[in-house]
Formats: sequence, structure tokens, C-alpha cells
Amino acid sequence: MTSTPDSQPSGTVRRDSVFIVAGIVWMVIYWVALLFLKNPNTPGPVKMAAVLVPAIPFGFFLFRFISYVRSLDELHRRVHLEALALAFPIATLFLMTLGLIERAGMLSKYWSYQDVWYYLPLFYLIAVAVSWRRYR
Amino acid sequence: MTNRLPALRAERGWSQAELAERLGVSRQTVNAVETERYEPSLSLAFKIARLFGKRIETIFDGAGE
Repeated sequence: MTSTPDSQPSGTVRRDSVFIVAGIVWMVIYWVALLFLKNPNTPGPVKMAAVLVPAIPFGFFLFRFISYVRSLDELHRRVHLEALALAFPIATLFLMTLGLIERAGMLSKYWSYQDVWYYLPLFYLIAVAVSWRRYR
Repeated sequence: MTNRLPALRAERGWSQAELAERLGVSRQTVNAVETERYEPSLSLAFKIARLFGKRIETIFDGAGE
């Protein structure tokens, strides 16, 4: 596990950014899984594997991302904490509104669970940028 | 909370990046502390005080709080 800046030798701030590579691997595997799932001739067991397999690289991405956050100094960690505090309620509001629209029978098929998850990491990235503005 | 960090850094002729390296934090953190947008943790404040060989209260002034 990556150590915190407090436990590092003076003069070094190690940023564990392997999570970026892990994130790219996860997205590539997700994209390949989508190809299998979109093909109507894909056998059932392969479809099941395509559903489950992207969770493995995601788990690795999550592990590396936590390592990355732990490698950051106190200000950067605060930025990520504030970003979470902003992004989570926005994501909740977003999903709640989609749920209400669906109950009203007015939800387009393009807003199904197949696609809306893309917005959640987007909210987080926007929240990180908003949070940084306060300290720059 | 105000601080004398920019003056102390200037006395030693260090850039923000050099000070950040000595403190083991990022340059953005040093900049945020100097511009008083971010109040450092007690641990970082002690580290700054030790680095400059001064007491915390001679570097940071919380009188305005």
C-alpha cells in the first residue's frame, strides 16, 4: 500500500498514478464486453461472463485509485473529499429525478441504466475541478 | 488565519517548489497556504515551524479567527 506523505522521506511527494492505466484497462475491457453483449449471436454463458468480467479490472482500478488518494498531500485529499461531498448529492439528485421521470412514463430509452452511469464519474471530475477553484 | 510564510520563504530565497519539496507536499499546497486559501493541518504547521526554526505562533496568526 502506498504510504502517506507524512511517512515519506523529506523532499518527496510520490503520486501513485497507476490508477490511470488501471482505468484505461477497465474501460477497454468494458468496451469489449459491450461488443459481446450487443451481438445477438453471443451465447448466454459468454454474455454472463461479459457482464461480470468488467468488475475485475474495476476492482483493480478502485484499489489503485485509493492508493493514489492516499499518496496525495493533505490539500489534495481535501479537494477529493469536497468533490465527493459535492458529487454524491448531485448523483443522488440525478438518479432520483430519472426515477421520477421513469415513474411518470416519460423516460426515453436513452436514459436507461445502460448509459446513465457514465454521468457519475463525470460529476466527480467536475466536482474535483469545482473544488480546486477554491484553493487556486 | 494570516501567516508569514511568503516572507520567510523569500528570506531564504526558496521558490514555492523548493519549499514544497522540503516539506514533502505539493507546490499547490504551499501556494494555497501562502495565499491563505488553505489552513494547514497541525502536523504541517509544525513541520513548517521546524523547517524555519521558529515557533508556530510566530509564523501563523489566528487572531483574526
